[in-house]
Amino acid sequence: MTERPARPGVFGAAAALFRKDLLSEWRTRVSTNALLLFAFAVLVLVGYAVGPASLSPEDRPTVHSVLLWIVLFFSAMTGLARAFVKEEDAGTAAALRLAAPPPAVLLGKLLSNLALLFVVTLFVVPVFLAMMSFELKSPALFLLLLLFGNLGLASACTFTAAIVAKASAKGTMFAVLAVPLLLPPLVGAVMGTRVAATETELSAGLDFVRLLVAYDGVVTTAAFLLFDAVWRE
Amino acid sequence: MDLVAENLTRSFGRRRVVGPLSFRVAPGRVLGVAGPNGSGKTTLVRTLAGLIRPTTGGVFLEDGDGRRSPRDAADAIGWVAPDLSLYGELTARENLQFFAKLHGRPAAPAWADEAIAGVGLDPARIAATPLHALSTGQRQRIKLVYATLHHPAVLFLDEPSSNLDDAGRAVVARVVAEQRTRGVAVVASNDAGDLALADERVTL
Amino acid sequence: MIRVAQLGLGLAMAVIIWASFLWARPAQNFVGESSRIVFYHVPMAWVASVAFLLAAWHSAVFLKKRRMESDDAAAAAARLGFVFCVLATVTGSIFARVMWNAYWNWDPRETSIALLLLVYGAYLGLRGAIEDPERRATLAAAYALVAFATVPFLMFAVPRMYASLHPDTVINARGKVEMSADIRTVFFASSFAFLALFAWLFSLDRKVSRRLREARS
Repeated sequence: MTERPARPGVFGAAAALFRKDLLSEWRTRVSTNALLLFAFAVLVLVGYAVGPASLSPEDRPTVHSVLLWIVLFFSAMTGLARAFVKEEDAGTAAALRLAAPPPAVLLGKLLSNLALLFVVTLFVVPVFLAMMSFELKSPALFLLLLLFGNLGLASACTFTAAIVAKASAKGTMFAVLAVPLLLPPLVGAVMGTRVAATETELSAGLDFVRLLVAYDGVVTTAAFLLFDAVWRE
Repeated sequence: MDLVAENLTRSFGRRRVVGPLSFRVAPGRVLGVAGPNGSGKTTLVRTLAGLIRPTTGGVFLEDGDGRRSPRDAADAIGWVAPDLSLYGELTARENLQFFAKLHGRPAAPAWADEAIAGVGLDPARIAATPLHALSTGQRQRIKLVYATLHHPAVLFLDEPSSNLDDAGRAVVARVVAEQRTRGVAVVASNDAGDLALADERVTL
Repeated sequence: MIRVAQLGLGLAMAVIIWASFLWARPAQNFVGESSRIVFYHVPMAWVASVAFLLAAWHSAVFLKKRRMESDDAAAAAARLGFVFCVLATVTGSIFARVMWNAYWNWDPRETSIALLLLVYGAYLGLRGAIEDPERRATLAAAYALVAFATVPFLMFAVPRMYASLHPDTVINARGKVEMSADIRTVFFASSFAFLALFAWLFSLDRKVSRRLREARS
């Protein structure tokens, strides 16, 4: 047998998969369009119904924090399942299964979903802040919450997507499975955002950032440990 | 590397689809898998390729150093089947470059074009066409490149000639002949021409 | 032997029900007789949590050994856990109405049990959405373990940041059981009886699943 060249490591393979996903997405724009249009529709609805003037000043931080994370959460629900559902439905999953090591597949898909989520965040957050006159006393805290909140959202959603891709009623099951996993970090992110709107000190909301970082670490580790069983059954 | 099956069975729920089967295929040999529709050819091939677990018994790739499960040796496996698809929104070249990269093979555009020409397609004509806009037969030829670009020790061809014209069948015959120099080939088919490529046969 | 154990459990339950209403005296600082719910609500909540632990444990064993018996056990634990979780939620809600005048207050403990209900529901829903038994077992096990890793973040992290209306847990913050002797006796007897009831139902469910599987193959 001839000497075979070494396969790239997990990071190399994940990078190749990430680039492939970006290229696919650039060609079709299915996920980006779905997420952005959904986010836009919800923003219009929220802005029209709860606009800046209809709330008393003391209610604003709470209501605005909740609404912002609801918009981000449901945008994630509409788009992130596609990472794996599309591979299984199109019949490409088996090709990928033979060609790439499982951790690389998860990492590549996680990066794709993270990129998608950050695109949506970049669109939603400025529009939301402007539209709702949502003023932040501690932008640094807010950015940390967005960063680690999205990381947890992407990790949990990517793993859930790998599961639902093999079940029936994929669309419904995705939300059903993701909600219980995401409730803890979302509660933390909402409470933290409220603190970012009312307190100037970063340290006032650091507990929530810590909660999110710990959650991200745990859910990502669990996803990597269990992914092989899900991906290759 | 030998391909070894030992008392292999595969069931889905209460229904046994494959086995029990035992055989050994040595490098340079081609195993034909024959049987009517629904006899479990595809399931057997998927089990041998490590894509699904055997219910009982085992599949091994065995050489002087010992035996490995195909699940732990994905790099040694090539697989083409009707239910395998490549990425429809990408061109043939992009698909091949992606999979070559995953296998640690040089993935230059020139290499991809050469491989496309190697299965009888004109790289210049299909360069900018996404895969879903090609004909089924053209896609089948690209799938043959996908399955062999990493020079697998065991190549599985499930219905390799489906949707292929005579020139395409010649490509399949050449792919099998090349595989003989590298290792084992398994051809599952109902097509007499495909099965004629095999040295030994399992009938399900 | 098993018949004797079943009979014993039935008798014990009867005595505990009698004692919980007629022998133990109501605790101080609680509205009327409402403290008696502790004999039912708390053991049910414990069983719901133990069942979750068991479901996760058997899921891990399944992924390691790939024996369908482990999947039967995980599914049985989840089904029973779900029932006990519903019962704990309902009894807690009734108590909340009596004590605080509202069935639901979004108290941290109420939120935690609502999350546990959601997890059980999602797990059982996932099982219903997969036809092939082996695939169902694998994916459900993976989900149970991820949920097992994420649930504590609400149970332990969020509630502790806020004051709770919930009465002291049985073993309170000072690490002591502060109950009068009669309440304590009935409470621990009841907890033991509920765990025994769960163990019995658990083994029944596993047996049924195994027989069903054997009948099919």
